[in-house]
Amino acid sequence: MPDTPTPSPRPRLGVFKLASCDGCQLTLLDCEDELLLLGEQIDIVHFPEATSPGQPHGPFDVAIIEGSVSTPEQRDEVQAIRRNSTILLTIGACATSGGIQALRNFGDHDDYRRIVYAQPEYISSLATSTPVADHVPVDFELRGCPVNKHQLLELITACLRGRTPAIKNESVCFECKRNGTVCVAVTQQMPCLGPVTHAGCGAICPAFNRGCFGCYGPKESAATAQLAEQMRANGQSNEAIKRAFRLFTAGSEAFRKESQRHE
Amino acid sequence: MADPTATPMLTLPPDGLSELFARLVQQGWRLVGPTVSNGAIIYDEIQSPDDLPTGWTDRQAPGQYTLEKRDDQRSFGYVVGPQSWKKELFLPHEVVQTSSLNNGTFHWHGANPKPTPTAFIGVRACDLAAIGIQDRVFLEGTYVDPHYQARRDATLIIAVNCTEAGALCFCDSMGTGPQARQGYDLCLTEFDDYFLLESGSDRGKAIATQLPATTAKPEQQAALTTALDNCRQQMGRTLNTDGLPELLFGNLEHPQWDVVGDACLACGNCTMVCPTCFCHSIDETPDLASGPAVRERSWDSCFSEEHSHIHGWSFQPTVKDRYRQWATHKLSSWHSQFGTSGCVGCGRCIAWCPVGIDITEQVTAIQHSPADPAPLPDFKPITWHARKDPLQAASARIEHITQETHDVVTLKLQMPDNYRDQPGQFNMLALPGIGEVPISVSGDDGGAIEHTVRNVGKVTAAITALSVGDALGVRGPYGSTWPLDQMAGRPVTLIAGGIGLAPMRGVIRHLVSQTRDPATEWVSVIYGARDQNALLFNNERKQWPTNPAVKVAITLDRASAGWRGNVGTVTTLLQRKHQPVHGIYLMCGPEVMMAAVIRQLSLDGVPPENIYLSMERNMKCATGHCGRCQYGPHFICKDGPVFSYAQVRPLFGTPGF
Repeated sequence: MPDTPTPSPRPRLGVFKLASCDGCQLTLLDCEDELLLLGEQIDIVHFPEATSPGQPHGPFDVAIIEGSVSTPEQRDEVQAIRRNSTILLTIGACATSGGIQALRNFGDHDDYRRIVYAQPEYISSLATSTPVADHVPVDFELRGCPVNKHQLLELITACLRGRTPAIKNESVCFECKRNGTVCVAVTQQMPCLGPVTHAGCGAICPAFNRGCFGCYGPKESAATAQLAEQMRANGQSNEAIKRAFRLFTAGSEAFRKESQRHE
Repeated sequence: MADPTATPMLTLPPDGLSELFARLVQQGWRLVGPTVSNGAIIYDEIQSPDDLPTGWTDRQAPGQYTLEKRDDQRSFGYVVGPQSWKKELFLPHEVVQTSSLNNGTFHWHGANPKPTPTAFIGVRACDLAAIGIQDRVFLEGTYVDPHYQARRDATLIIAVNCTEAGALCFCDSMGTGPQARQGYDLCLTEFDDYFLLESGSDRGKAIATQLPATTAKPEQQAALTTALDNCRQQMGRTLNTDGLPELLFGNLEHPQWDVVGDACLACGNCTMVCPTCFCHSIDETPDLASGPAVRERSWDSCFSEEHSHIHGWSFQPTVKDRYRQWATHKLSSWHSQFGTSGCVGCGRCIAWCPVGIDITEQVTAIQHSPADPAPLPDFKPITWHARKDPLQAASARIEHITQETHDVVTLKLQMPDNYRDQPGQFNMLALPGIGEVPISVSGDDGGAIEHTVRNVGKVTAAITALSVGDALGVRGPYGSTWPLDQMAGRPVTLIAGGIGLAPMRGVIRHLVSQTRDPATEWVSVIYGARDQNALLFNNERKQWPTNPAVKVAITLDRASAGWRGNVGTVTTLLQRKHQPVHGIYLMCGPEVMMAAVIRQLSLDGVPPENIYLSMERNMKCATGHCGRCQYGPHFICKDGPVFSYAQVRPLFGTPGF
C-alpha cells in the first residue's frame, strides 16, 4: 500500500427513506463525533433527515435505505436507487423485514384502509409492506429497530475499507453471556426471543430484566418452533406466543411462519 | 492433593474469613467472588464477606435456575452459577492487536496486558479443573497466548470444596470434584461453625500463617471426608465416561444427533457458560479515524454458522452438525487435542440451555444403542513453546506480481532473514483494517516466498489488488508439510484441482530439481481446472517435463475452442492405468475431488498411509487457540493442513465436520 495514496474523489453517500419512523436515520445523526469523521471521508449528497435540498438522483457509491416498500411509488424508487448505486445497504427492521407496518400483511388491506381513513380512496398503498430485498438485490441488510450506532458505523467503515463487516449473524444470547447478564428465561421463565433473534443491540432488554422482543429479527437457523414450545411449557398462551413473534419484524419469514402457527 | 504432612489442615473460625479478605486486600489483590445479582450467584468484584451469598442456595433443573434461602448462614452453600472464571482469564472481548503503517512498513503492537492482580474467591473443584484445561489450551500448546498468560500469572486462587452437590452436578463422574485437589493457593471447606483451611502453594501458606487459624482436630479432618462423601452421593447427574471418547467417535451417525439437532436452538448458551469452551473470533473493529487498525477477539461458538464458514461454504450448516461438533469435541476429540476431557461436570450447559438439553441424557441415549467405538489419535504433549506473541505479523514487501488468471495473482514477497518454510505450509496474510487469511506458500526462492491468491472474498480482493512495493503482513509459517522424506525410490503422483495446484508447487519444484529414475521414481502431475483460462503457472508448468522423470497431464471441466487436451475429472485420468500401490500420492483441491481420487486409489489397492491431502477450514488465529479449524481430533492449522489419509480417514467425507 503506498504511503501517500493518490487522491481520489470521495465516495458519494445517499441516504433514503421509505415507509419508516426515521429512527434509523436518526441513529446515523446520533453518531455525532464519528459523523464528523465520516463527513471527512465521504460526501453525503442526499440525506433528507439531515439536509435539504438533497441530490436524490445519484450516482452513489453507497446508498442506505431506511424503511419498507409500502406504496407503488416506493416500489419504483428502490429500483431507481439500486440502478444508481454501487453498494446498496438497507438498515432497520422496516427495510429488512417490512417493519411494524407489515402487520397489515396478516389482515385485509382494504379493511384497514376503511377503518383508519375517512376517505380511503385517497390512500395509495400496497397490500403488503415488504423489505427492500424483496424488490432489488441488497448488498447488506443491517438489522435493528432502530439499528445500533456502532454496527452502522462498522458497516459504513467496512464498505469504505473494503472489508467484511464484523456483524455477526448470531443469537442475542451470545451478547447476553458476553455481557455477563443473567438469563431471564432460565431464572424467571420469562418469555424471551433472544435464542432465535439476530444479535446486534447489545442485549439491552435482558439487562433490564425483560425478555428479548426480537427487534433484530430472526438469526440464521432460528429454531422458532422449539422456542415457542418452551414458551408454551412455561405457561404462555397461544395468543401470547403469536404476539411475541408478531412485532417489529413480524414480516420476516421465520417469525411470520411461527406467529401463523399460533393463530 | 496437598500433602497433609507438609501442610497441616487448619481450622479457621467463621470470622476468620473477614481476616482473610482483609489480608488479601492489604496485599493488593482485587477480590472477585460469588455474590447475588439479578436472581443468580455470579462472580463479581467483592470487598468483604458481607458481599458473599450468605444464606442463599441455588436450585437447578434443565433450563431452570432459582435462588432459595437456606436454613443456615453458610456463605458457600450453592454450587455454580451462570458465570465461570473464564470471564476473568479469557475475556469476553479483548483488543489483541493494533497495527499501523509507517514509511511503507506495517508495525504490529500487542496489547501488552498489565492485569490487576486478582484473587478468585470460592473456586469450585470443577472450575479449578476447568482453569487447568484452559491453561492447556492457551499456555501449553505450540503457541502461548500472552494475554491469557499475563492474567493467569496475576491470579491467586482460593478454592472452596463442595459439601453439597446440585441437581445437575456430575463432577464425580468426570473426576474433577467435589474436592479441589491441585492448582489452588488456599482451599476452604465450610462447616456450620468453622472453616477447614488447606494451603496448596507457598503463597497460600504465607497467607495462612497470618490468619487466626489453628491446627484442625482429628474429628474436624474426619468431617471433611464425610462431607465430601455425602456430596458424591448427592450428584444429580452421572456420566459413564468408560471408553466414551472412542464410543462417541464411532457413533458420529447415531440417530440421537438428529433428535438433539431437532431440539437445539443453536443459541450458543451452552458454549458461553461452559468454563472450558475457548473458541473465539478475531475481528477488525471500526476505524473511521486514520489511527491504528485495531483487532479484537471475542467469545464465539461452534453453534454459530459463521464459525465453520469459508468463502461461500459452511462446513456445519445444520444445527445437528453443530451440536455434534460441540459434544464430540467436549467429550471425545478433546482427549486427542489436550489429553483430557473438555467437560468438568459442572452442569452449567444443562441449566442455562433455554430448552433444557441435557448432555448426559444425549450421551446415555447413544450408550444405550451404540455402534462400535472408533479409535482416536493419541494426545501428543508439546515440549516446545514459542514465547512471542503468536499474532504478531512481519511486514513483507511485494517484489513482483504475476497475474496468473483474471482472479488469481502470485505475489513474490521479500521476507525477514530468519523466515524458513517447508512445502505444504501456509502463512496468515494480513492487511490491517481489512483482515487476515490463511494462504499456502506456493514457492520459496532464497529469501523470497510466493503466495498464489485467488480473489474470493474481501481480504483476498484487497490482497490481489496490491501493487509491487506495497507492504503485506505475513505471519507463519504454520502447519505440517508434504512428506518430502518419503518420495525417494518410489513413484510420486500429485493430483491438484483448481487453486489446489498452488500448495503443491513447492514440492513439484523440489521433485523437478532432483535426478530421478523415470522407470521407478517417475513423477506424475495430474491437474484439473475449470477451463483453459483458469490454468495456473503456465510458463513454469511447461518447464516441469524437461526433467525426463516428470510428466504433466491436464484436464479441463469445459473445453474451449482450440483445446486439444483432456476433458473431464482428474479421476478419469487416474483410471487410465493401474496406480502403483507403493507409490505416494499427494493431492489438494475441493474435498469432493479428493474424495473421488481416494475412492479410485483405494480401488487400486493404495494404502491410506501412502495418500496425503491438504485440507482447508475457517481460521482466525492459525495457532490452535481460536478453535475454528477443528476437524474432529485435529486442528487444520497445527496438525494439518497436510494430513495422511490414514489420519483423517474416519472423518473424511462425513458431512458436518
